[in-house]
Amino acid sequence: MEKAKPLVLIVDDNPTNIDLLVNTLKMDYRLGIAKNGPTALDYAEKHMPDLILLDIMMPGMNGYEVCTRLKAATKTKDIPVIFITAMSEGGHKTRGFEVGALDYITKPFHAAEVKARVKTHLSLKKARDQEIYIASKIQKTLLLGRPPQNIRGIQIAHLTVASQRVDGDFYDFFKHSNQCFDIVVGDVMGKGIPAALLGAALKSHFLRVLNELSLSTHTDKPLEPAQIVSSVHTHMIDQLVDLETFVTLCYARFDMAKYLFSFVDCGHMRTIHFHDDTNRCVLLQGINMPLGFPEKEPFRQTAVHFKPGDLFVFYSDGLTESRDRDGNFYGEKRLVDFVQRNANIEPKNLITGIWNDIIAFSESETFDDDVTCVLVKIDIQDSREVFTEEDQLNIMSDLKELGRVRSFIRAFCAGIDVSLLDEKRLGMIELAATEVTANIIKHSYKERAGKPIQVNAKMWPDEVVFEFFDWGEGFDPESAPPPVFDGSRDDGFGLHIIAHTVDEVIYSREDQGKNCACLKIKLIGGN
Amino acid sequence: MELNTEEIGEVTVVSVLTQVIDAGNADDFKTGFASIVKGCKKIVLELSRVNFIDSSGCGSLLSCHRQIKSLGGDLKICGPQEMVRTLFDLVRMYRVVDIFDSKEEAVKAFLT
Repeated sequence: MEKAKPLVLIVDDNPTNIDLLVNTLKMDYRLGIAKNGPTALDYAEKHMPDLILLDIMMPGMNGYEVCTRLKAATKTKDIPVIFITAMSEGGHKTRGFEVGALDYITKPFHAAEVKARVKTHLSLKKARDQEIYIASKIQKTLLLGRPPQNIRGIQIAHLTVASQRVDGDFYDFFKHSNQCFDIVVGDVMGKGIPAALLGAALKSHFLRVLNELSLSTHTDKPLEPAQIVSSVHTHMIDQLVDLETFVTLCYARFDMAKYLFSFVDCGHMRTIHFHDDTNRCVLLQGINMPLGFPEKEPFRQTAVHFKPGDLFVFYSDGLTESRDRDGNFYGEKRLVDFVQRNANIEPKNLITGIWNDIIAFSESETFDDDVTCVLVKIDIQDSREVFTEEDQLNIMSDLKELGRVRSFIRAFCAGIDVSLLDEKRLGMIELAATEVTANIIKHSYKERAGKPIQVNAKMWPDEVVFEFFDWGEGFDPESAPPPVFDGSRDDGFGLHIIAHTVDEVIYSREDQGKNCACLKIKLIGGN
Repeated sequence: MELNTEEIGEVTVVSVLTQVIDAGNADDFKTGFASIVKGCKKIVLELSRVNFIDSSGCGSLLSCHRQIKSLGGDLKICGPQEMVRTLFDLVRMYRVVDIFDSKEEAVKAFLT
């Protein structure tokens, strides 16, 4: 497709001048005409000309003021302006450059000079546009990663609006398993192609480090975020110092098995962690310096637990530093408030909501900085529907089998991280399981041998559940007498022990005579 | 049920060598223990090797304690592991029986 000719706006109150300029330029360009300042500003805003020829001396709003206003608006500030002046004195020219003009043409015109200057500035603009195009292309293709697929129980939404200058925002995702992935969100100091290329280089360093380190360690366990960031920093510090730039970033890991969020923050914007249970936002901030600072201290990693329904918001400073007409920032507080009010809507709708709120605030859709935002929502439904593990044990009603029940419990819980289930609590779960099984044999089956007992075990990221089934007489916990602690009785402690060793106990009986005692152990937020 | 006996002065120390006392062997324990301590007045039950006791096991300890008390003697317990101690706390065992960390402390408590 042939590209349309460049659009040049002529702003002058004198019809003769307008005619002269039109005749000079009409063969090579599309032309717009404005006879006063306000019309010129409207036209520029609406049609985005490639270049403006601006008369200084006009009634009402003069050329300086028009230029100042054009340069103050994010949308029009990069349009090149050439002043037209009858006044050849140096003072006027200086003032023109001060308010942002690129060049000037003195009246009376020489057609060849007008043509030459317009052509020069349009090719300079084209070169600048080309740079922005390349930078934004780099950004779209190299800097912004795709969210991982098939991670159970999470939803990810992301948004990037490149500014007219491209300033090196980047993010990416690294998937380790179906239950574990990393996210890195960063911002390179600087703009245009250099910033975009550096961001791309940094991302490829992360990939390389992840690859090399995982090959050299020979384990299934991914390296800790702090080790990864530290290694990338070692690789990149010389280049960053040479380029006199730095990078803020947050490298974070979502471990869906442990429900643990571990992050290394290097001077980036504070990550918002919305807690669904308390309906409050907590701002997560690290203590590390940005990459590119000669860091002496090792990178410090921080870990927080999350729960189903929680939401994490990562973003760049371009988002919180969007300005309204009066120059006020959108700000962290407004973002936090917005997230808190709307945290329960679908992530992709929430991110659209955030975007609309920024537009409403700034009354503009173009920004000085890239606006980047990534949401990670921990699903409520998925994490309940899909359990991560299950197992079953079948025994006969014999008290000598109690040891097997405990071995089954211990083996099933073996994969749970000690930070979620320690030895003491595991001992208590074994105790509860022993009590439940002994109760079934003694009371439900009245110590008759050879009766079946089935134990089902299920594990979710945040909970373990054991169900004990029998087909005996069943039992009503309400009918059991309360325990006596004075040493006068040898029994009656079982129910008391069960109730105090697990987070929840549910006794039920089906119509067909199948009894169930269900023990629930919370791995997060339990006792 | 494996039990080991040791005399320290007038005190009989019975160590439980089996790791588990639960509903499956609580009666064995009761019988075995009763036969070992027959005629003894000052008895220490040493549990440091026991890593699991359930409510039936607890009940058998309380039963033994009551039996000894009724014959004018006393039973003290020493050396429970963390799991066992947590269970004792749950059933308020300390209200009824003196519980010590070490055998020496338990024996000393009889001598003073």
